Amino acid sequence: MFKAIIESDKLKEMIEAVSSIVDEGKLNLSSDGISIKAVDPANVAMVSLNLNSDAFEEFNASEGELGVDLKRLGDIVDMAQKAEMVELELDEEQHKLIIRMSGLTYKIALLDPASIRKEPKIPQLELPATIVLSGNDLKRAVKAAEKVSDHMCMGVEGETFYLEAESDSDRMRLDIVKDQLVSIIPGDARSLFSLDYLSDMIKAAGKANEVTVELGRDFPTKINFQIANGNGDVSYLLAPRIESD
Amino acid sequence: MGVELGDIFTKHEIEISDLTGKIIAVDAYNTLYQFLSIIRQRDGNPLMNSKGEVTSHLSGFLYRTTNLIEAGIKLIFVFDGKPPALKARTLEARVKTRNKAMQRWHDAVAAGDEDAFKYAQASSHVKGNMVEDAKALLSYMGLPVIQAPSEGEAQVAHMVLSGDADLAASQDYDSLLFGSPRVVRNLTVTGKRKLPKKNIYIDVKPETLFLEEGLTSNEITKEQLVDIALLIGTDYNPGIKRVGPKTALKLIKEYGNIEAVLAHLGQNIENMFKIRDFFLYPEVISDYSLSWKTPKEKEIIRLLCEKNDFSEVRVRSATDRLIQASDAGQQTLDQWF
Repeated sequence: MFKAIIESDKLKEMIEAVSSIVDEGKLNLSSDGISIKAVDPANVAMVSLNLNSDAFEEFNASEGELGVDLKRLGDIVDMAQKAEMVELELDEEQHKLIIRMSGLTYKIALLDPASIRKEPKIPQLELPATIVLSGNDLKRAVKAAEKVSDHMCMGVEGETFYLEAESDSDRMRLDIVKDQLVSIIPGDARSLFSLDYLSDMIKAAGKANEVTVELGRDFPTKINFQIANGNGDVSYLLAPRIESD
Repeated sequence: MGVELGDIFTKHEIEISDLTGKIIAVDAYNTLYQFLSIIRQRDGNPLMNSKGEVTSHLSGFLYRTTNLIEAGIKLIFVFDGKPPALKARTLEARVKTRNKAMQRWHDAVAAGDEDAFKYAQASSHVKGNMVEDAKALLSYMGLPVIQAPSEGEAQVAHMVLSGDADLAASQDYDSLLFGSPRVVRNLTVTGKRKLPKKNIYIDVKPETLFLEEGLTSNEITKEQLVDIALLIGTDYNPGIKRVGPKTALKLIKEYGNIEAVLAHLGQNIENMFKIRDFFLYPEVISDYSLSWKTPKEKEIIRLLCEKNDFSEVRVRSATDRLIQASDAGQQTLDQWF
């Protein structure tokens, strides 16, 4: 059983955060809300998302999982106006998801959850440096780096969070000092990441007031932020690139 | 080719996506044959360039390999070295079979017979620059190409055993005989395939086989497995008449080893100890380097489009996908589990 009503923006946030990593996702339902864990086909990025039942106007769900084509669902939910209420309901007999919004009703086919890539185990990583900054600042850094390269280095020097990108001919460096950050726990950190992935992640993270970036030396990064006015959270994990020639 | 051990090992059907992040050592020669056999036009003719030279293998190595790389699989291609002297007779017999099939194919085509395709497949053979071109293409694609000192299957098994690769890929069961703990079949032939003689298409999926599982479930040792293969017949000996996998398994379990079985049957196998040693202690190398590099689009285009008349639009789209997917410096998350 699943029936829920949620404001369109919160639903869009949820879909965007996951669909930037995978096209298909398994929504785990419980009375507490919805959770999704997914890893991209190349095994480079992971997303783990929780959306509490408090994020919904109404929420009724029994334990279960729904296999969803996130791109399709996102397309449909895009039809909703800002702040419009969207109703989701599972048609158990036909195994379809019913989506209702101001007079409009969609019925979309669900995917067999067994056909979706297995949920990843999330590795427990102890990362030495933690930076908290505004989503907008991180978004600006990603945009700046994209102008010169396909990848970007994130690191910590003293109490400064720096971002660098380099191509054969051009170079970009952005220093964000302690005053401009929400907070910083300094540590030995410098790792290189693909901007393809970062720019996908920043679509959702860029809207958050605060984004927590955890970093190490040539280690994956963890990027955490809240969604749905604090009634949900997203955690990304991104594998680094090797810095070489 | 290879020993028919399908009855002894359980095949586990999997999806290509289950292999994401895995390093797979591929028996390249075996794969090349698969491509020559199945990548054909409707009339049974292989793909050819304007000079009439066969290009089916190059098409397979580019497009099929790109699909696998896109799925996040890291491939290593291992080519056969010098065939062992033990194999001479098998190789002679293969040439005969092929020549016969070639004759039948031409006859069937002339007669408008629908078996033409089948005979065409059986007439597949490696010649001229096929191996050299395949090696060049694979290295332009940024993949490690390794030259085995002897049998490719043995080298592939060694690489899985040493932990440099997660699985061996081959259609043969021989890499299990050479000691590979894990083998994947159908890797490069996944997809729709026409059943021989029927107008039916089946969905071919990859399947994995595990050495330990086969040994445990049949309660045999690795040495006994090799003995069973010797009784059935290998690439190096014809085997004992009327002894198939089931009988061989039963005999080995009853008598313990091949010497006792042969004494019981009053038979002998030429070069038996040499062949057994060849499976148990094959000639392999350990000093190879495994690095995945950025594909060289220009070289791929020169080889495929300029020399072999491939469509440049299609090849470019494949190399674009390849470059996107092969991102050499990108690490994967499984390294931190």
